[in-house]
Order: sequence, then C-alpha cells, then structure tokens
Amino acid sequence: MKQGKIMRALVLALAVSPAFAQTTTTAPPSGRLLASNCFQCHGTNGSGGLERLAGESVSEIYNELKEMQRKSPPKMMDMHARGYTDAQIRLIADYLSKQR
Amino acid sequence: MVKRRDFIKWAGASGIGFAAGAFDMLAMAEETSAAFVPVIPTNTGIKGNVVVIGGGMAGATAAKYLRYWGGTGVTVTLIERDATYASNIMSNLVLNGSRTMSSLQYGYGKLASSYGVKIVKGDVVAIDPVGRSVTLGSGTRYAYDRLVIAPGVDFDVLPGLETATAQAKVPHAWKAGPQTTTLRNMITAMPTNGSGVFVMTIPAKPYRCPPGPYERACVVADWLKRNRPGSKVIVLDANPEIIAEKHSFEEGFALHGIEYRPNTTVLSVDASTMTLDTNNGKVPGAVLNVIPPHRAGKVITANGLADADGKWTSVDVLSYEAKLAPGIHVIGDASATTQPKAGHIANQEAKVCADAILRMFSGRALDQAPVTNSACYSPITFETASWLTVTFAYDPVSKTMLPVPASAGEASARSKDNFEEMNKWFTALMGDTFA
Ligand SMILES: Cc1cc2nc3c(=O)[nH]c(=O)nc-3n(C[C@H](O)[C@H](O)[C@H](O)COP(=O)(O)OP(=O)(O)OC[C@H]3O[C@@H](n4cnc5c(N)ncnc54)[C@H](O)[C@@H]3O)c2cc1C
Repeated sequence: MKQGKIMRALVLALAVSPAFAQTTTTAPPSGRLLASNCFQCHGTNGSGGLERLAGESVSEIYNELKEMQRKSPPKMMDMHARGYTDAQIRLIADYLSKQR
Repeated sequence: MVKRRDFIKWAGASGIGFAAGAFDMLAMAEETSAAFVPVIPTNTGIKGNVVVIGGGMAGATAAKYLRYWGGTGVTVTLIERDATYASNIMSNLVLNGSRTMSSLQYGYGKLASSYGVKIVKGDVVAIDPVGRSVTLGSGTRYAYDRLVIAPGVDFDVLPGLETATAQAKVPHAWKAGPQTTTLRNMITAMPTNGSGVFVMTIPAKPYRCPPGPYERACVVADWLKRNRPGSKVIVLDANPEIIAEKHSFEEGFALHGIEYRPNTTVLSVDASTMTLDTNNGKVPGAVLNVIPPHRAGKVITANGLADADGKWTSVDVLSYEAKLAPGIHVIGDASATTQPKAGHIANQEAKVCADAILRMFSGRALDQAPVTNSACYSPITFETASWLTVTFAYDPVSKTMLPVPASAGEASARSKDNFEEMNKWFTALMGDTFA
C-alpha cells in the first residue's frame, strides 16, 4: 500500500536526519506565544482591534483580566479570561506592557 | 472600546487638549484604522527555510509569524493556488445580501511587502518527505528544511453529485467563492408566493465551523421570512443534536420556524428532480444546499499523509509536526486534533507551529504549555448575533489540547451589540492573518 511505503520511508528519514545544532540565538520572550492569543481580536501585538492593549501597564492588564474572570454574567472576553492561570495572566500582562 | 485612560495617553502624546467630542472621534478612528506597522527583526540568529502550502487562515498566519518572530534569516515561501483568498468567515452574510463576495477577498501583498514572505501562485501536487521538496503542477520544485501544510478541506462526492451540472444545481457553498453567489441567487429566485422550501444538510462531525450550518439556516430563514414570507427552511442533520451553541440556535430555530430533523444522513441526491434520499425518507426542495462530509485537502490524502481515519493528519500539538512525517507540520482544518476546525483557532495553531519551528531551528526545547482559543460570533438575524468561546490548554498526560472548562461558554442571548462586536472581531482576525 502506498501509504505504508511512505510511512516506512519517513521513519527511515527520521533515523538519519541530522540533529539541529545549538545556535547563538536569544530565547523567544516568555509570554509571547501566550499573549498571541490576544491578537485575533486585539490586533498583532495588541495593536488595536476591539481595544488596544500594547503598552498598557502590567497592573492595568493584570487587574482587568482578574476582574473579568469574576464578572457575571460573563460576556465573551470575561469567559475567555477564565481560560488562563494566574501565572499565565502575569506573563501575558508583562509581554503586552512591553509592546509599542 | 477605547478606555478613557488610552485617550488621555494619546491626547497627551500628541499635545492636543481634552474635549468630550474629540473623545468619540478618536475612539472611532482607533477602532477603524488599527494600522499595524510591523518591525521585522533583521536577524535573530535563527536560520532556516520553510515552505508553506496554502494561504488560508492557518497558512497565511504561519508564514507571517515565521518571519515576524524569526527575522530575515528565515526564508518563507508561501505557495497558494488562488490569487486572492475568499473568506469563509462571514460568507453566510452574502446569502442574505448584507455582504458581497468582493468584500471578502484578501490578497497576499502585505505578507510580501511587510514581512518578506515569498509568494508563489501554484498548486502543490507532490511532496517528497525524504528529499524534502514539494512539486507544483507546473513541475517547479521547492526545497524545504521544514514544510507547513495548511490546505483546508476537500469534500466527499455524494452519489448523484458526480457531475459539474449536478454540483451546480446542488451547491454546498462551504468553500466561499462562486458557489456562495450561486446559492444566494437560488435563494432570491425562490417563489414570492411563499411556496418554496429551502433544504440544507449537515454532515456528521468533524466538519469545519461547527456552528456554521446552524448559523446559515438562521440567516437564510430570517431573510426568507422578511422577503419570501411563507417559505420553509428544513435542516437535515446527520448529528444527533445541534453540536454548537445549542441554546442560541434552539432559540433561533424557534424564532424563525425552522424545521430541524436530527439523525438524518443524505444517502444520494437527485439533481434532476431536486430530491434528497435520506435514511429518513425522501426530501424534495426548491433549493438544496447539501454540505458533504469533509476530508483534508487533496495534497494531504494524495501524498499518504492522511493517517487519521484516512482523512486527516495526526499531529503532535506542541509543534503540529505530523506524527508519522518528520519535518512536515499540518495546521488548520487538515489536522486531526481535539480542537474545532475553525479559522480563529487555525490562526492560533499557526502561531504555536511557527514558534515551534523557530525553536527547532535554534535547537531549543518546545514550549511545553501552549494555549489556543476558539472564538466565534454567529449571526442569528440580519442584525443580531450570539457567540461561542473556549480556551484549550496542553495536557501532558493525554498529549492533547483540552478545553479549560471555566472558559467554555456561549452568549446568554442574541444581541445587536454582539453583531457589532462581530464585525470588529472579523476585521481584527483578518488583519492578524493577512496584514
Ligand atoms: C460558511 C462558513 C462560515 C465560517 N465561519 C467561521 C467563523 O465564524 N469563525 C471561524 O473561526 N471559522 C469559521 N469558518 C471555518 C473557517 O473558514 C475554516 O476553519 C478555516 O478557513 C480553516 O483554515 P485553513 O487555513 O485550514 O483552510 P482554508 O482557510 O480553507 O485555506 C486553505 C488554503 O489552501 C489553499 N490550497 C489548498 N490546497 C492547495 C495546494 N495543493 N496548493 C496550493 N494551495 C492550496 C486553498 O486555495 C486555500 O486558500 C467558517 C467556514 C464556513 C464554510
């Protein structure tokens, strides 16, 4: 079967593919990937959309998200805020506060 | 909404005085412009060569973020068969005349000019996973270090719908484009005396956009009620119940008098007599909108990559790398994950994938706790909408993305506010994907 043949070839390829060398890159900022969950509604890097977030202070963003987690009845963003742990909210707030 | 403190910051920075009227003006300007000016890092030290197949919600986002986060050392080639992308999202609003197909087109110019993505117009027909290259229909080959495949879905051919003539008479319009316009024209051509019946069918899950078909039924029924009063809408659903936003759509179906028949699967279509044969008997209609079962785009199934049910690609959701095909990542509708097949979350899967590829290029460990989110607004009438949202977090035990229960919910009631918010969400989502 064609599929089986391809899969076997791929497993072989895996065995011989070279490991990626460690390079001198800087680590991606922590919080960047998490905060990118905001970008669909708030623009890339929190640049606008439903509301601009880039450059707000850490405490503004943190407190607002914590408040939303408790709001009832929840609107969409209140519901969404409930998807993050406290530590994740801190990372998101920190990342967005540094964007311009 | 723009908060007062934003305005004060803004006003302070630009040296203008505070005036109540100006607040509203600025608020509007900010909401409508959102002109994002990216700064591509010249060199992050990361080097690599990525080919992306498919410039839809997932592929366009992946191409953008690979460059935006990876910098100029990362070569990104986006291969897309169409010159522009027609958005499926909002295309149900073409059916009631409130949007046009031309307003739903997105080009690739910004990805090229702002991010330096190389855009190739072409159709990928073959993948060589061992030699790491892809081949277009034209015969041109492109080599890659890592390949991202985001081809969306293809549709099963139901008995009776084998010919182009039959397909033109019974459109699915589940890929926005000419069929969307065809279906709109069929709806407006329904008899003015109210004797017409619009029948639409929903395949068993998984299909793309779980709330989408129910939304379409509501939008069409709403239009018919106001423009072809007396017409009927019948929904035949292969699923045992409404599978998304149940509360909102039950209310919507009651509001519009939609007849809902669950557990009903289309067996065959007779386009000449305009009749569907189902497991629950024959159903004729003036308009038949049959949404067939889906599978991943052909480039997946034709290249031996459909290891999940023979239809989709199983992936490691830390990187979206195919479980059985090292070096090949599959994102969006084409992969088999616990997440819905939808555009908003396809955009986020693309960011997780881009981040993972960049880490792989620099020999770093993958992010072990990715989060994604799905958010969707559904029009229920021409001026009201409901919404649905859920966040997914990586579960190291099952190695899958699991919904965070507290974050999952739908609107308590449809509203005009939701409808307005929907338009802003759509603009922002498409901006984050294509600009
Ligand atoms: C009516 C409708 C309403 C919807 N509403 C919503 C909504 O409100 N919210 C939401 O989140 N989602 C919604 N969706 C779902 C959403 O459109 C899809 O889930 C999303 O587009 C998936 O993104 P993708 O990148 O996987 O595929 P697509 O966006 O379909 O993109 C695939 C691209 O790949 C290209 N391609 C395919 N094969 C090849 C090849 N071999 N070579 C070159 N190019 C190729 C195609 O031309 C296409 O441009 C809706 C869908 C429909 C049909």
